[in-house]
Amino acid sequence: MITRFITEVNTKFNPFSAAARSTRLFLSSLPANARNQGMKIDTKLLPRTSADPAVLLVKFKDGKEMNLDGAKLGIKGIIEEVDRHSRFLQKQADLNDG
Amino acid sequence: MSARLNCSSARGVARVLRSQSANPLSRATATLPQISISSTRHYAAAARAAPISLGKPELPENYVSPNKPPTARRPETRKSQMIRVYTALLRSTPLMLFFQHNNLTAVEWSAVRRELKRALSEVPAPIVGPDGSVPVDIAESIQIQVLRTKMFDVAFKVVEFFDAEEAAKQSNAYTHDLSKTAYEAVKAADTTNPNTAYAQISPLLEGPVAALTFPTVSPAHLAAALKVLSPSAPEFPAPTRRKNPGYYELAAQSGLQKLFLIGGRVEGKAFDYQGVRWVGGIDGGLEGLRSQLVYMLQSAGLGLTTALEGQSKGLWLALESRRTQLDEEQNPKKQEEGEAPPSS
Repeated sequence: MITRFITEVNTKFNPFSAAARSTRLFLSSLPANARNQGMKIDTKLLPRTSADPAVLLVKFKDGKEMNLDGAKLGIKGIIEEVDRHSRFLQKQADLNDG
Repeated sequence: MSARLNCSSARGVARVLRSQSANPLSRATATLPQISISSTRHYAAAARAAPISLGKPELPENYVSPNKPPTARRPETRKSQMIRVYTALLRSTPLMLFFQHNNLTAVEWSAVRRELKRALSEVPAPIVGPDGSVPVDIAESIQIQVLRTKMFDVAFKVVEFFDAEEAAKQSNAYTHDLSKTAYEAVKAADTTNPNTAYAQISPLLEGPVAALTFPTVSPAHLAAALKVLSPSAPEFPAPTRRKNPGYYELAAQSGLQKLFLIGGRVEGKAFDYQGVRWVGGIDGGLEGLRSQLVYMLQSAGLGLTTALEGQSKGLWLALESRRTQLDEEQNPKKQEEGEAPPSS
């Protein structure tokens, strides 16, 4: 996954619900030095009884915000969506650096 | 279900040996008296010179080694041994916290473990019991370890859905954790029933999970661990920078940012982070709870006795006041006389 262009990740989930699985896996797929490179990662846990859906909000360097539904997309879907925009940004960056 | 075989114990070997060596043994005993007359030392030498030839003992077809009982999966693989380790861990650990760890580096892990160890060592030693026995200090045995979630899941099912004692009553088959009996019991169990602890905890065991294991439910140690690993301002504050500068090192901080508490298993029940904090907030641990209960019972008893006494006390007071009133009415002079001398 291309994580260079992500500036902020906000998550909120109930770890006891199976629907939160892909959101949690997304957090684990961020690189070890993500915070050192200026990415803001915020995780909020919901209590066990809460039935709220998992929230995953990703912000990119160009200001685009993505609100991804982990239960519907799955971890592969989330990574695909994030990478789709990251590749676009990568292409632009390559053209500018040229 | 594989039935336990007759020759599964050392007795089986002994029986084989006995049948083969019957003749040489009897010969040896026959020659024994003559030699022992001369000297015992000669006897030993003679015995060495003519050892009992056992030949090659042939084991029966259905022989099962006593230290290698049959298993449902190959026992020598890493995964099988991991299941055994995890079942032992689950049975011996009443308090277990689960953390998600997101790509911690080795340096960060060691910093986190160092801070945890330091915090646990500062917990006061256990109090000596009324009978003079000192409880074991568990601080050394509290460890954080990364779990292999799939194997942990299998082990969890074995612990939850397989009762070895119950199975041993029903048939003669092997009932260890890797046995076919355990395998079939787990396979037949309803793992999706939401009332079981397994169904409640299994969603936690996805992705990278580490477990902090406590050999006893000790709220004091739990509170110390929570202050380091998952601090929350009023109840479990993080150590101050002045008191513990190591906690604010880059490696420790970046490691702790990537580690978060997702839940726990206390006495076989699932707890979320709030529940875990509640357990950590019990003052004085089990002793504290006991003293609270004793106080509650005592004060309840006191209230009850005063309530019961109240009626009779009220009656007695009413009668007594009436009596004094009557006394005063009957002989008021006496009182006046009694009061008179000081006034005059």
